[in-house]
Amino acid sequence: MDNRITIKVADLIGSRLCISAEDGQKVFGKVESLLKDGKDVAISFDSVTMLISLFLNVAIGQLYGSFSEDEIRAKIQVEGLSGDDMELLKRVVDNAKRYYANPHQYDAAWQDVGDEDEQ
Amino acid sequence: MKLNVNTIKSNRAGFNAIARIAEETSALSFDSVVLDFSRCSFFDANMAAPLYSVISRLRDELNSVSVVNIPSDIKEILQKNHFLTIFNIGDLQDTNQTTIPFKIFKLQAGEQFSDYLDSYMNGRGIPTMSAALTKRFRQSLLEIFQNAAIHSRSGAGVFTCGQFFPQKHRLDFTIADAGVGIRENVRRYTRIAKMDSCKAIQWALVEGHTTKTGKQPGGLGLKLLKDFIRMNTGKLQIVSRFGYYEFSAQEESTIKIEHDFPGTCVNIEINTGDTSSYCLKSELSSDDIF
Repeated sequence: MDNRITIKVADLIGSRLCISAEDGQKVFGKVESLLKDGKDVAISFDSVTMLISLFLNVAIGQLYGSFSEDEIRAKIQVEGLSGDDMELLKRVVDNAKRYYANPHQYDAAWQDVGDEDEQ
Repeated sequence: MKLNVNTIKSNRAGFNAIARIAEETSALSFDSVVLDFSRCSFFDANMAAPLYSVISRLRDELNSVSVVNIPSDIKEILQKNHFLTIFNIGDLQDTNQTTIPFKIFKLQAGEQFSDYLDSYMNGRGIPTMSAALTKRFRQSLLEIFQNAAIHSRSGAGVFTCGQFFPQKHRLDFTIADAGVGIRENVRRYTRIAKMDSCKAIQWALVEGHTTKTGKQPGGLGLKLLKDFIRMNTGKLQIVSRFGYYEFSAQEESTIKIEHDFPGTCVNIEINTGDTSSYCLKSELSSDDIF
């Protein structure tokens, strides 16, 4: 029997548009608490018509700050995303892994500030 | 105070001309500013959005702003795209349906902005394009809009408009704000107090670079936009404070402009005849992603 709990994103945020950080945070909160309770989670994007990286960074990318890659891989599935949106999610996930490996990295080259005339 | 609005095209000189107006009026409050268009021989309709960044700042300081001597052809364009309504000059019907009207959105109005895009797709303003291109275009505009809403730190809102050029199969869409600019956000985040505007734009374009605080990953929006523009053979311009960035299939450059543009403006020009699929990899499953 499948004990996986399905989160229907469009129902949870009350919109078919996954475009805001606030809505992403709402999804993140639900997923985080279910994972902490040891549940398996399916995140369903059925009937979502628009999805942007800003939303996915908060809703899913942020999970890598609380859980290991192994836990996430074992516990989470996504459903209802088209091929191009799956690519977008992959990009978000790879970026999140890099971010949490070293959240405040920036190249020393940026210390060269450039134009001294600008105030 | 009377100021000349010279020819404004969607290029570095055009943005610089708008920034000059901002700079020359930056100290004014409770004053009167008259924008005189008599020397303006051409005005790209989408440049109404960055011009409004200047007007918004002036109105924020309770200045009265008016326009005079607008040549009839330019007036017609700016009436068709509803820009002149901010000066109580009535609209003209856009019979060719090539304009996406000028609009001011509140910062939280992402869904309304999406509705606005919907209503100007499908032949009204935005031409019929492939489903894949339409989706990537909308996604890109929503990323830019939300970026402006989050990072501008300005209550004035987000200003948008667009123009379709049917002969060239090109569509320009512009999103501007009257905020602090990319430079201030990057300076604050990196603690490099003197980073200049051009460097700050370059910093923001690096994948994974974000000035968001709160331990959340980010910094993909501009990179995704650039990837889209590359595939589409379109053009991207970012103007923020003294920095001007342009990216196209032919070139990528960041150049200082002489005057201080009061906010950030992103202009994208897309090739509307593009039939790319925008799906590069074979089908990914959850296992491939996490």
